[in-house]
Amino acid sequence: MAVLDHPAENVSPPVAQRAPSWATTLDHKQIGILYIITSLIFMAVGGLEALIIRAQLWVPDSHLVGPDMFNQLFTMHGTTMVFFVVMPMLFGFGNYLIPLMIGARDMAFPRLNAFSYWMFAFGGTLTYLSFLAGGAPNVGWFAYAPLTEYAFSRDHSTDYWILGLMVSGIGTTATAVNLVTTILVMRAPGMSLARVPLFVWMMMFDGVLLIFALPPFTAAAIMLLLDRGLGAHFFDTQAGGSALLWQHLFWFFGHPEVYIMALPAFGIISEVVPVFSRKVIFGYESVAAATVVIGVISMGVWAHHMFTVGMSDALDAIFSGASFLIAVPTGIKMFNWIATIYGGKIRMQSPMLFAVGFLAMFLIGGLTGIMLAAVPIDWQVSDSYFVVGHFHYVLFGGSLFAIMAAYYFWFPKMTGRLLSERLARWHFWLMLAGFNLTFFPMHIAGLLGMPRRIYTYSADRGWTIWNQLSTVGAMLLAVSFLFFFWNLFVSWRRGESSGDDPWDAWTLEWATTSPPAHYNFEEIPIVRSRRPLWDLKHPEDPDWEHE
Amino acid sequence: MNSSEATMAEHGANRETIRMPIETASPLVVSLGITLLCAGCVTNWALSGLGAALLIGGLARWISQLLPGRGEEEHAWVPIDQRARAIERVDVAIESRPRGFIARMQVPAQVHPYSTGVRGGIVGGAAMAIVALAYGLVSGRGIWYPVNLLAAMLLPSMSEMTGAELEQFDATALVLGLVIHTIVSATSGLFYGILLPTLPRYPVLWGGVIAPLLWTGAIYGFMGVLNPVMNSRVDWPWFIASQVVYGATAGLVVVRSKKVPLRPV
Ligand code: HEM
Ligand SMILES: [Cu+2]
Repeated sequence: MAVLDHPAENVSPPVAQRAPSWATTLDHKQIGILYIITSLIFMAVGGLEALIIRAQLWVPDSHLVGPDMFNQLFTMHGTTMVFFVVMPMLFGFGNYLIPLMIGARDMAFPRLNAFSYWMFAFGGTLTYLSFLAGGAPNVGWFAYAPLTEYAFSRDHSTDYWILGLMVSGIGTTATAVNLVTTILVMRAPGMSLARVPLFVWMMMFDGVLLIFALPPFTAAAIMLLLDRGLGAHFFDTQAGGSALLWQHLFWFFGHPEVYIMALPAFGIISEVVPVFSRKVIFGYESVAAATVVIGVISMGVWAHHMFTVGMSDALDAIFSGASFLIAVPTGIKMFNWIATIYGGKIRMQSPMLFAVGFLAMFLIGGLTGIMLAAVPIDWQVSDSYFVVGHFHYVLFGGSLFAIMAAYYFWFPKMTGRLLSERLARWHFWLMLAGFNLTFFPMHIAGLLGMPRRIYTYSADRGWTIWNQLSTVGAMLLAVSFLFFFWNLFVSWRRGESSGDDPWDAWTLEWATTSPPAHYNFEEIPIVRSRRPLWDLKHPEDPDWEHE
Repeated sequence: MNSSEATMAEHGANRETIRMPIETASPLVVSLGITLLCAGCVTNWALSGLGAALLIGGLARWISQLLPGRGEEEHAWVPIDQRARAIERVDVAIESRPRGFIARMQVPAQVHPYSTGVRGGIVGGAAMAIVALAYGLVSGRGIWYPVNLLAAMLLPSMSEMTGAELEQFDATALVLGLVIHTIVSATSGLFYGILLPTLPRYPVLWGGVIAPLLWTGAIYGFMGVLNPVMNSRVDWPWFIASQVVYGATAGLVVVRSKKVPLRPV
């Protein structure tokens, strides 16, 4: 190891010392860090909302916050986590890493890139300003019509929801275009599409998915705005509009959105697992191909969120069947990761720890997902806590565990310092325990009939114990994140210096200093295989002789 | 904007500076403008006015910087001692393993072609269908009964049917049943084919006996939720027999095919 290490006194000055002006920067790395920091702030807020929700459900007949506040809390929590935490965090890593990984100096459109970030930041802020303006959105993150029509939602809270998401959605669309263009045209000489790191592959396909899925959502939001403000009747059932139309438009976006959050997470895992197993990824082509297949199928299954609205048997059957199909490419990926670990020389450092946690948690979420794709089961447990348990295993277990692996893996690249392994272990084990304690009991509560989005319940239902387990788990989770934030803070100030390539990794971002200069590379590297750094380090046995 | 050819060209000239876009607040101003424009709709139209002004101003500045020579500047490289050092060669030998072995090792080294798995799955599925049909005849419920039970997985309306109704021919159920059966057989076979070489030693034992028993156990546990109709009506001994026949047939097809070496990467 330690091929690229500088002597300690040579560590490049930390980001802050280079006196960057964050408001005017066009550097993809600074914009990436802006994304990451802003989404961390939103994560703290969204987490706090979750804690209040759990506190409210701690005992039966609780009056801690009351019904209206409760509606605002779960709406803002869901909206925040999806739009202002997971997506922007992934864009942050994508922004920071993609130009480095493909040997480029910046994104294809640097100004548009900055614009995207600011749209996300302002869109999030606008949504939260509603708290000051008399009440936050309280209609759920799916904003089902006709509940969102003016007749049932008379204050401005729903307008804030629409406008805030429209603003951040414009930014997201711009990011998607930027990602796809960058990856298609900015690659270093020799880096064919069959040689880009899998994280880059998946971010590119993520951009493609966004370009398809987001416009219908934006259109729906504008239609709703017209309904509410100017008396149009798209979703107004009293005047011949269709409430189902909203559901179709929303879930045509909403289901792929799950994969938009999951694919980059898969990409992170596909980078971390090989490096920490000291083996090449097993079946690069099949991982990439499975990405495409997942993406395509995910565009065709949206109505599995609507089994209970009374579509025809035939429609139910088609969407159910298509949903089952997604298990195949996803299973192939799982198999590829496990085969990569199998027989490897495994280093259980923090990034790998979180990657393995991801594999286990995402598997559980996937299995309950298959159960929900069966129409008869869905009819039983739809809109119960079983579903809440399921999608948190997918979103939190799937996306967030992988994102945590990314933090521990790439923090040294961004700061030139390592995160503390000791704090990382505290974080990991508390998070794993807290996560399962929070979300596993929700499956049981759901099977016992507890509906989601209820602000309280009576003691004779038999749900109390499961809710109390969940609430204790949520507190544990909160503590685990304190370790994480503390680790980020102290390691950034005075963590052990990492050198340029602390993990003996193989992709191009580790070929420059940590943190990199504004322009990334003095000399654009020439790529001859999927592991350009391996080739440089092992000139007598380079990969391209084997490809 | 710099395409990679341009940077290579610059590099050929061996310059110590590089053209990068000038830092600019116009993206921030434009997006603040759009946000205020929207915020005005729910607060005060004056805000929208301010937003529109910012939007126009910011856009004008943004566009002006796209003119040739206006938006970029020469950027000096960082001092020599802060640049990435040239990457040094390292010895490939890792511990006592052969050179380069670990880093490129693929486990397993030899696999069955993917197509074999699918083929095995389809053959196994056919064998399984024969068992199921035999059950229909032997039990006197007729050959449509098992098909209808399978289709009930996707057709919620079938859960209300009586036993007698389930014995009748139903075209939709037949098509659905066939589709489910083919897809499940083929994809299970695919997994089978991929997984078998990674299992230790006795592939026939794994493929023919242990695996079918394992998944039948899993199905037994989950059947109540996966296919409640089937669960309440299934004849378990026959069901297990059909699973073992599937597993053994598919396993046999896969195991008897020739393995190919994995292309090392
Ligand atoms: C501290 C961790 C978390 C806890 C304790 C928590 C808990 C909850 C609870 C209790 C609800 C309300 C469910 C309902 O009444 O319907 C909820 C909703 C939601 N959560 Fe979380 N959550 C956490 C983290 C996350 C994360 C990380 C994400 C996303 C990546 C997320 C996404 C969502 C979404 C989308 C909803 C919307 C629910 C709905 O559709 O009604 N949550 N969460
Ligand atoms: Cu879905």
